[in-house]
Amino acid sequence: MGTKGKPSRLQPAPENFLSDDLIDQISKQGLDASRRHFLRQSFATASASLVAGGALAAADHPGEADDEAIIQLPQHSRTLGHPVAHLPYGLPSKHEAYLQRRESPGLTRRRESSIAFTPLQGLFGIITPSGLHFERHHAGWHDIDPGSHRLMINGLVTNPKIYTLGELMRLPSVSRMHFIECGANTAMDWASPAVPSVQYTHGMLSCCEFTGVPLALLLEDCGIDKSAARFVLAEGADGASLTRSIPIEMALDDVFVAWGMNGEMLRPENGYPLRLVVPGAQGVSWVKWLRRIEVGDAPYATREESTQYTDLMPDGLSRQYSLIQECKSVITSPSGGQRLLDRGFYNITGLAWSGRGRITRVDVSVDGGRNWKTARLESPVLPKCLTRFNFDWEWQGKTALLQSRAIDETGYVQPNISELRAVRGTRSVYHNNAIQSWRVEAAGEVINVQIS
Amino acid sequence: MSRSLRAVLLVGLLCVSGMASAELFPKVGRRASQTEVAAWDIDVRPDFKGLPTGSGSVRQGEKLWESKCASCHGAFGESPAVFPPLIGGTTTKDIERGRVAALSISSETAKTTMMKLATASTLWDYIRRAMPFDAPKSLSVNEVYAATAFLLHLADVVPSDFTLSEQNIAQVQARMPNRDGMSTKHGMLEVKGKPDVLSEACMQDCKVNEKSLAVLPVSVNGLNGNLAEQNRPYGSTRGIDTSRYK
Repeated sequence: MGTKGKPSRLQPAPENFLSDDLIDQISKQGLDASRRHFLRQSFATASASLVAGGALAAADHPGEADDEAIIQLPQHSRTLGHPVAHLPYGLPSKHEAYLQRRESPGLTRRRESSIAFTPLQGLFGIITPSGLHFERHHAGWHDIDPGSHRLMINGLVTNPKIYTLGELMRLPSVSRMHFIECGANTAMDWASPAVPSVQYTHGMLSCCEFTGVPLALLLEDCGIDKSAARFVLAEGADGASLTRSIPIEMALDDVFVAWGMNGEMLRPENGYPLRLVVPGAQGVSWVKWLRRIEVGDAPYATREESTQYTDLMPDGLSRQYSLIQECKSVITSPSGGQRLLDRGFYNITGLAWSGRGRITRVDVSVDGGRNWKTARLESPVLPKCLTRFNFDWEWQGKTALLQSRAIDETGYVQPNISELRAVRGTRSVYHNNAIQSWRVEAAGEVINVQIS
Repeated sequence: MSRSLRAVLLVGLLCVSGMASAELFPKVGRRASQTEVAAWDIDVRPDFKGLPTGSGSVRQGEKLWESKCASCHGAFGESPAVFPPLIGGTTTKDIERGRVAALSISSETAKTTMMKLATASTLWDYIRRAMPFDAPKSLSVNEVYAATAFLLHLADVVPSDFTLSEQNIAQVQARMPNRDGMSTKHGMLEVKGKPDVLSEACMQDCKVNEKSLAVLPVSVNGLNGNLAEQNRPYGSTRGIDTSRYK
């Protein structure tokens, strides 16, 4: 198939490499010597980038002539490759070093109590590779010896028990796919756009298949006092011994004590060898390195549900025990910090999820919310799990404003940021599930913007 | 876990064993000893259930603070250098009222721990389980009382000659500046809770406030590294080269 009639690849104009401030100054005050110098410098930088960009672009744009990648048989077609089990535990291709967990600057001073974000911009489907699952620790992570790890269940039970990991693994287990989202995901954008890409706006979000034993079975085994039980306290074995209260209705419903993640044991950063899975709840409730469950008749007001992870409302009251992650979606590509190289067809793709159940619909707008069309939901569509959506789009080379809006099985519609602010103000930090807007510039660059 | 599966399991196990057992899974796990429970069950609730007997004075707390806490939190718990500040933003009026007034001002934020904290138990519990940051659980019970007393004194909740103990902590609770500042009246405590923000799914010619458009400030370009290196150099898109903003 020829490439005739294919529009030429976009070359970002040097103007795009100037700051808005400078453009503003030049238009108001003209060019003086210093601005002229700055402009020349910017242009030189821009041209250098174009050359580099061009070299990269050539790698997957065949051009008109016979393709050397076809005519010259490559080395890998003419030589013997590596044997089996060359890498007993397989690794990503050496060409795939770009998508990594990354920190965002200025969030914390101590990296043991920090965050590393999942690179959603380049992931496919709904499962997060184990090595890219986001990280959030409160006192650093350890690689705990599974042989000496214990789970204790005490409180309002007739028979407080301890279990070894091996004993838990003898019990009837479930394997379920669920999303986990930090309550502070998208927190930096409550007031206005603050970070450049979907990795930093939405990357405290991951989704894996977890395997473990239902907490209801363990509580039954210990003889839970169901008439008195109102909450359970989950506690970690790390330095922070992080604790969260979980309502008994959830604890007896679909919460489970997991050791498995994507078919293997949990990664140490994600709670190895044992973590709680609390479907639909914010990440902090999914206590890692789980050592203890206490059954109680009242919530515990732990630090992570008092001064942290509470939502400050305009009236000065803080919402406590706000653990459900409401329906939300985001376009992961094209998304902030990316650029389109050509006009023509694109697959707009993204993720939708709800802590209250299944996603039933996702709509996409390319004109900033004026008009919407329904996207395709890819299977599987599971409760409290990421759902992948796709949407056909032909980019005309003009400014476009991309948005997605999810609806869950309760009928709840993902809100606009102004609707959220009208109720919650801008200081609540947590639970920002607003519609995300990405502006595609005429030159193809995609920028984080907000329309309220 | 479905009710039916649990019932099947329960009935099945009872049939096998031939006798009613309290345990769902016989011979799996064992009863925790009192010593074991005491070693791990360290949580303290707002009603002070779980609080061990002991005491510590403001003066003892001050000494402890200087050696083990001040390097991160500052001499008066005021430092934002490593962690958000602990002390500040509360007034004697707040202590009378039980609500931190600054939190009702829309331009204010919850800058300090003491502004948001409603329960004294939380402070005690967290210091015991997680502090000092580099050596958690290294403080004795009396040291936890002392550190808590010193912090409460810095916030003017207790006087400088105060000794905090399990006997008087409930009276201290009655002076916490933001003790009535929490609410559980919201729909996010349970899956079936009622949402507070209700939107509609308009499909055509929807109202859009164009003037509200806010764009990522140019000044933050480059702060998150070079985005060209955070995307594949092939595929449907590229990352923007932000290295020039360094």
